[in-house]
Amino acid sequence: MVAGLRRDRRVMRSVQNAFAAAFVSALVAIAALEYGLVTNDYSLSVVFEHTSRNLPLIYKMTSLWASQEGSLLLWLTVLTGAAGIVMYQNRHRNRELVPWVAAVLGGIAVFFAGLAAFVSSPFAHVPGAVPTDGSGLDPSLQNPYMAAHPPMLYLGYVSMAVPFAFAMAALITRRTDARWLVSVRRWTLVSWTALGIGMLLGAHWAYVEIGWGGYWAWDPVESAALMPWLAATAFLHSVMVQEKKGMLKVWNMVLVITAFSLCIFGDFLTRSGVVQSVHSFVQSAVGPWLLGFLALVLAASISLLIVRLPTLRADHKLESVVSREATFLFNNLLLLALAFAVLWGVVFPILSEAARGVRATVATPYYDFFLVIFGLPLLALTGIGPLIAWRRASPGSLWRTFRWPVISGLAGGAFLALLGLGSSPAGLTALSLCVFVTVTIGMEFARGTAARRAIAGGSWPRALRDLVNRNRRRYGGYVVHLAIVLLVVGVTASSAYSSVDEANLGVGQSMRIDGYTLRNTGLFQRRGPNYRLEYVRLQVYKGGKPDGILEPGLRQYDTGQVGNEVDIRSSLLTGTDLYSILQAPDRNGSGVSVKVLVNPAVGLVWLAGVVFALGALITIWPDPREARQLARRYGELLARSEA
Amino acid sequence: MSTAALVVAVALLVTGAVLFVAWPLASPDAGPPEQVLSDRDRRVLELRERRDEAYQGLHDLEQELHTGKITPADYELERGRLRAEAAAALRELDGLSEPDPLR
Repeated sequence: MVAGLRRDRRVMRSVQNAFAAAFVSALVAIAALEYGLVTNDYSLSVVFEHTSRNLPLIYKMTSLWASQEGSLLLWLTVLTGAAGIVMYQNRHRNRELVPWVAAVLGGIAVFFAGLAAFVSSPFAHVPGAVPTDGSGLDPSLQNPYMAAHPPMLYLGYVSMAVPFAFAMAALITRRTDARWLVSVRRWTLVSWTALGIGMLLGAHWAYVEIGWGGYWAWDPVESAALMPWLAATAFLHSVMVQEKKGMLKVWNMVLVITAFSLCIFGDFLTRSGVVQSVHSFVQSAVGPWLLGFLALVLAASISLLIVRLPTLRADHKLESVVSREATFLFNNLLLLALAFAVLWGVVFPILSEAARGVRATVATPYYDFFLVIFGLPLLALTGIGPLIAWRRASPGSLWRTFRWPVISGLAGGAFLALLGLGSSPAGLTALSLCVFVTVTIGMEFARGTAARRAIAGGSWPRALRDLVNRNRRRYGGYVVHLAIVLLVVGVTASSAYSSVDEANLGVGQSMRIDGYTLRNTGLFQRRGPNYRLEYVRLQVYKGGKPDGILEPGLRQYDTGQVGNEVDIRSSLLTGTDLYSILQAPDRNGSGVSVKVLVNPAVGLVWLAGVVFALGALITIWPDPREARQLARRYGELLARSEA
Repeated sequence: MSTAALVVAVALLVTGAVLFVAWPLASPDAGPPEQVLSDRDRRVLELRERRDEAYQGLHDLEQELHTGKITPADYELERGRLRAEAAAALRELDGLSEPDPLR
């Protein structure tokens, strides 16, 4: 703030060094805690409560973020690292904004450093004598996905602070032109991509580890990551409208404030213990602090926005509701409506408990209802948006542009109905819309490549490469749309058209499900590094022929904890999973209790993650043409301000 | 690691951090203060953004015509409007004695 008010270059250089020093200090603290974890230093509470001597080394290391205290330290490290990168990136540009960006990021970092130092210290000691062994790590966290899932989500949550800081700096300095958007677009993409991949990693972890047969249960902590992702998705679309038309300036500010506030709210949900979740930490003292911080963020940012409203007037007005900017606006409204429906589902049990003393339950049908109500129109807009013209579209051009996608969608729907998929009207509609969107994406690539070839000549692959290179944001975005289609097909098929059955099977007995026969060939035991596994061997038959073996089991850890070990057979061709769970071993001669699911096309959900990452990478990749254009627009003016 | 070694290590880390952060403040090379953009500069930026929006609009329009999203009649109408917007921004930029690097 002093650097911003006094415009003193020495103070700004000191600020830049302070962020570097904060990052290095946080890294040293992480290294010290990791040292305690891998050397079994049970004088530290975190080490005692989350590890044991026979825990494999990799899980001793990842247990750092299994604890409230360690994860706060990780959060602080990622935040100071991101702030340090921002300072380095902007050492020669955005000189008017950066002191205030630093002030906001510094304020956030000081808050989290205060939590880690005074409220929830990762270096707190165990009272009394030092124990000889630890309590052990929760079995569900002893999974390779836990090495990547939480850090990825933290990267997503924390990097959302950068767009927020730039938005606040733009409001403080009245620099509400498009410059701040240019500076934050890539950071928003990083945050959005990390949240998206983090959620999918978490979904896969739940699928292979938790052992209930699904991957998304509308758990409050899952929803906590989804809400800012939805708000960021809205921002990434509406930012294009501001860049191209000078509209939605207030709305973009609102979206950035909303996305960051939802990140803090998500952190509050995870850390406060107010919700019951497999992902949350135990109740702790950080909850009220985080709630207070959220209130401060909202009060300060909304007040500033109101004061600066006169500087946020739109350059143009919406010319037609049948235009690309209008579809982006509808898309934004639907995304936020979905985010707030999810938010209400999360907070309602908390509010009902506070008001009436009884915790109400918001079950899956509530979320599924809003997912269908808001999600299907959103899916349709995913196809409509790219094909519709900016400003306005005439009825003639609409028919010419949309006839093949619409005909394909209807024909695809009819074909799927003939295959018997009409049992779920919402599922059939979603799949038909997926056909519609896929055709629109294909048409965009085909027409764009043809147009590029007509202008520059060359082969089709070269024209396609040039097309993507010349507009990475647009075509990377289309690849992300394709990922959304894959995700919707996978989720729809595996939820609306799955089969499930349970049985008690003695040795030699069989059960049938969806064309498969599973025969119990016996109960076995195996020793692992820190557990004993008891598992049933199920011989699988399809069409009367052997088709592999499933071995679901239960792990009895040396620390006394019990963990489920599901076994899954995946078909690479169809993406269908045969998913088996050992619910209870044979204790009284009635046979083992097993649950089996057939999840069609669930593999597409994971494939969607790969395509999503590819599309995001194309979009994030720096574009020298765009950099040159921005240099022409801002270059010498900013140089003058630095003279 | 003994307690004494730990204390020395932490002291070195803290001292290093404090020196690193304070060093620029003690530097004799203060340089001129950062300048903020004047109202005229802000207006120039605003006009350049409008000019670039119009140029980008013209570029999009060409693409939309080539990919069949608009009819030739719509194309002509919109092109005229966008060119007029760009020209208005350029005229005002000229009035502010601001040469357009694209021309």
